[in-house]
Amino acid sequence: MSTHTTRPMSQALVAVKKHLVWVVIAILVIWTVLPFIWTVSSSFKSTMEIYRVPPTLIPRDFSLHGYQGAVGFEGFWRYWFNTIFIAGSTTILVLFIGVLGAYGFARHAFWLRGPLLLCILVPRILPRAGLIVPLYVRFAEMGLINTYAALIIAYVASGVPLATWIITGAFGAVPKDLEDAAKMDGASMWKHLWHVYIPIALPGVITAATLTAVDAWNEFPFVLAFTTGPQVRTLPYVLYMLRATEGIEDWPLVNAFVVLTIIPIIIAYLRLEKHVVKGMTAGALK
Amino acid sequence: MSVEQGVMGKPPSARKRLRLKTVFPYLLIFPAIFMVIWILGISVIESFILSLQRFPFFITGVPEFVGVQNYLDLFRSMVFQSSLRVSLIFVAGSIALGMLISLGFALALYKLVKSRRYFSALALLPYLISGVAIGTMWRFLFSGDVGLINMILRSIGQSGVAWFSNPTWALLILILANAWGRSPVSTMVMLSGLQSIDPEIYDAAKIDGCTPWKTLWHVTLPQIKPQFGFSLIWLNFVAFSMFDIVLAMTRGGPGRSTEVLAVRMYYLAFEHFDVPGGAAILIMLLLANIIVSAVVLKYFKV
Repeated sequence: MSTHTTRPMSQALVAVKKHLVWVVIAILVIWTVLPFIWTVSSSFKSTMEIYRVPPTLIPRDFSLHGYQGAVGFEGFWRYWFNTIFIAGSTTILVLFIGVLGAYGFARHAFWLRGPLLLCILVPRILPRAGLIVPLYVRFAEMGLINTYAALIIAYVASGVPLATWIITGAFGAVPKDLEDAAKMDGASMWKHLWHVYIPIALPGVITAATLTAVDAWNEFPFVLAFTTGPQVRTLPYVLYMLRATEGIEDWPLVNAFVVLTIIPIIIAYLRLEKHVVKGMTAGALK
Repeated sequence: MSVEQGVMGKPPSARKRLRLKTVFPYLLIFPAIFMVIWILGISVIESFILSLQRFPFFITGVPEFVGVQNYLDLFRSMVFQSSLRVSLIFVAGSIALGMLISLGFALALYKLVKSRRYFSALALLPYLISGVAIGTMWRFLFSGDVGLINMILRSIGQSGVAWFSNPTWALLILILANAWGRSPVSTMVMLSGLQSIDPEIYDAAKIDGCTPWKTLWHVTLPQIKPQFGFSLIWLNFVAFSMFDIVLAMTRGGPGRSTEVLAVRMYYLAFEHFDVPGGAAILIMLLLANIIVSAVVLKYFKV
């Protein structure tokens, strides 16, 4: 394998070291993929096959029973629409607010800049679930319980800090000369943001957008606390309720539901993965 | 200067221009600051005030100021004491496991050359899954009748284990599920730290005859100290805030063996109508996060 001409001892060490990396990578792959595979595989099984020992990885009697149950679930499409609508609106608003804020923080010096930036950073250590108590009280006063507005306001507020932070970092790395060049062209601020900043800072902006969208898509405590009916509830809530309503669990149905709630995220991630990993390993989170 | 002109419509006088230039950055950051202070900031202040009050019923009627009485009541209640203990074990376990796997995975990913990108993308994937889905997937993996783990045990002639009837196993599986879903962030952060190390430093270590372990301990880790610290803060934060995985997986059971503080807070406020008690738990969670973050910031110079 190795063509090293050094002593056999160090050659063995090199081999071990080389393999150690792949052993850890193998663990990483199994650890990451196993829960997905088991869920996806079981979502295509019949209720009988779920109980078969030894278990089958590829279903022998392939069944769409779980998916039929999930799609036929009362209000399924409504929940889908709600999730897409809320996650979409949240992402657009957060990006708008975050880009403006980041432009302010990254490119302007002003009084109280430091403390205000800290104001944006610190809320990241607020436990989201903890906010349900005070926010419930306030939304009830405003008559917003069980409305899209309550969820979107709560998601935007909890999404803005991270997004602003990431985009500020990304904008900070845009070379200053480019800005001056654009200024001499007499470009307006919007053009300037759109044509200079956003393209250069794209991995950061996409990372912020992805994390915001994913957070809103997946959010659970706020939906649990601020909704009282199916009109505005989202997919994670239904997944949670599936369990409560079933006596003996219909696992193919539950697994099909899991697959259907995570598949849009995985598809989006496959398209954006390059930017997101780059954004996250470029120190965007620090 | 074009920016101000764009806003004003026509060239403003020098004084107006100066004033606008001062105000402009504040206008840009206003929406962000407003959302954060209006929703998050005021909520925290209101929680703090709530936690010092007592109401005749739920949050109606004239509140009575009771000082730290709600906090004292919590610490005297067995249920809260148990939640606190569960949370502390959960946080400690989650940080230990999270740090171990993120450091291990990050080191291995760093050694890859061409395929690093693909495996990093895979490693990050679980972070994008909702807590409810994570809880459901892991409940299924360890389910008594149909779970993969028991299936494997039965296939090799062992009998299955009722994982979620055993308090120790249930908490352990919760730690595993949390690490699976939330430590990818710390893996990425550590990987970013490793990538920023100047490779020459490794050549120097090699020349000095450092063994791999010595290199890791004396060269690599000190170099990624800020990322190490950030990972600690992150893992501590997600563990203290743990809520949705628990609800989807165990609902706090068996008994109260996985009822972490955030879950207790929810039950207290929304099922026992003790909103001040719930607010008091939020304030304590927040303090725990602030204290740990401050200590880590101080020692790791994040």
